[in-house]
Amino acid sequence: MVCLLPVFLNGFNFQETVLVKRSLESFFGIGPKVSQGLLAKFHIHPWAKIGSLKNATVMDLTAELSNMKIENDLRREVQDNIRRLKDMGTYRGRRHAMGLPVRGQRTRTQITTARRLNKIERGGQGRVQL
Amino acid sequence: MPPSTCLRSFSRLSIDVTAQTSIAQRLGRPQVALFTTSATRHATAPKRKGMTAAPKKGVKSLNTKKSRKAAAMDTGKRPAQGERKALRKRIVLSNNNALEVSSLKNLSKDNVLSEQNEGKVMGLPEEEVVDALRAVDAFKATQGWGLFRRPAVLMRKEAIQLAKLLREVEGSRTGQQKKTIRRILSGERMSGKSTLLLQGLSMGFLRDWFVISLPEAQDIVNAHTEYAPLPNSNPTQYTQDTYTANLLQQIQKANSRFLESTKLSTKPMLDIPLKPNATLKELVAVGTANPEASWPVFVALWNELSQPGRPSIMLAIDGLSHAMRNSEYLSAEVKPIHAHDLTLIRHFVDHLSGQKKLPNGGIVLAATSKSNSPTSAALDFCVEVAEARQNAPDNIPQWNPYKNVDARVMETLKDLNTDSTDLDVIRVGGLTKNEARAIMEYYAESGLLRHTVNEGFVSEKWSLAGMGNIGELERTSVRLRI
Repeated sequence: MVCLLPVFLNGFNFQETVLVKRSLESFFGIGPKVSQGLLAKFHIHPWAKIGSLKNATVMDLTAELSNMKIENDLRREVQDNIRRLKDMGTYRGRRHAMGLPVRGQRTRTQITTARRLNKIERGGQGRVQL
Repeated sequence: MPPSTCLRSFSRLSIDVTAQTSIAQRLGRPQVALFTTSATRHATAPKRKGMTAAPKKGVKSLNTKKSRKAAAMDTGKRPAQGERKALRKRIVLSNNNALEVSSLKNLSKDNVLSEQNEGKVMGLPEEEVVDALRAVDAFKATQGWGLFRRPAVLMRKEAIQLAKLLREVEGSRTGQQKKTIRRILSGERMSGKSTLLLQGLSMGFLRDWFVISLPEAQDIVNAHTEYAPLPNSNPTQYTQDTYTANLLQQIQKANSRFLESTKLSTKPMLDIPLKPNATLKELVAVGTANPEASWPVFVALWNELSQPGRPSIMLAIDGLSHAMRNSEYLSAEVKPIHAHDLTLIRHFVDHLSGQKKLPNGGIVLAATSKSNSPTSAALDFCVEVAEARQNAPDNIPQWNPYKNVDARVMETLKDLNTDSTDLDVIRVGGLTKNEARAIMEYYAESGLLRHTVNEGFVSEKWSLAGMGNIGELERTSVRLRI
């Protein structure tokens, strides 16, 4: 029987059997490229599971993550950028506020993505939801 | 006499069905079975189950999503963790249904290097060699060991060539300078390179050499095991603790007799205390038990083996081209790590290139692969040049200047381009007809080939196998029996 102890990484717990890469990418603002860089920095091989990490490595990773702009910090930055556009009264800001395509796409059909994403309070995926 | 209903039915065969029923109703007669099927065939086809009216225009009727019911039905037993891999990697070395070959002689310490074995099939002795070969992962799942009663090998001319090299090393033992011979095995796909490597290892085991085999270079470089930078190394080298610990365990299993009987003669610098006067086995056990100490233990073991009076060393690797390129590991600067910067590969390559010698003599053997080999232009070119030197010295190929040259690999293999015979290529080609005949007789005696082995039959199979490629020969004569 495999004992599944949660390992805490940046304040969130992960199952031991999850890949380190996958668990890193569950944070908003960390994708394939950033996670690859993080793994390389701490000499973790790409197939490593959370459970195989040494305690020191987990601490290092947590310290690194706490210095990075991820999750709500990053979301806030994105939202601030959008709000700035709106406050200046730009076309892009208005389009964001109306939930319509921003970059000159046609609006006759196919604007579901824009409807979903173009908001002032833009959220995104991640461990923390706004 | 037939019953009356039958006669009545006959008489009504041609009567219209509707008319008939109306008559029947009128006359109040009971309905009877008819000898005709036209009524049922003309009747409107019954509605099929689940069939509804044709979909209206503009309504989506195609539902490709799997139904919830089907998902709930899937309750098959899942294989346990690691079960499928174990099945994939399983090595079967005997087949109880194959016949025992009475004429099969075993290789032994005395006859393994003899030239009289040429062209004979020889058995591998169970307790000394087969267990050790299994311990170092020398048998591959793709090879046909599981077809025969017990493992046996054909002593082909390349194997005799290898045996001569072993004898050369052993013969040089009396002089001060003990010989280090380095060879690369090359040849077509399924021509028996890995098996020849295995034969080399078994010769090493039988002659009481110390055998270290890296069973598959791919496993070292494909970034599936832990790695860490080696402290105080410049340029940075990387150790692989888990892999090295596992390798030490294999070494321990394969060479246990020597390790148990030998005491430490140097003082290894290890963090873990060793009792004075410990055997080498205890040293290796420290590395196996503590993966973080495995590399220092390996180095200490190598130092021990380099002391005078220790056995010759057989150092082998399979799948060389994986070791001659960038590995899948990344450095802290997110740059690929060259395979030569991994300590284990580096150790091997230093000995292959001749930069380091084996003080007690020995053979460094590297087998290339044709079915699992990433492109390594420098290796391919060097092997090609060495082969050309052997066959057609006046027509040596030139490097294509439009290809990227891996300078480190070129530097490693530069001895292949010179006349020195320390590093050379053994070309593993097709069998001769006599060798083919010997192995086919062995197939026949094992009961796997039901045909009289005569000259015509051997020639036919030999040609079908592409001029005696042994893997193809096995395929055409044993595996593809109809």
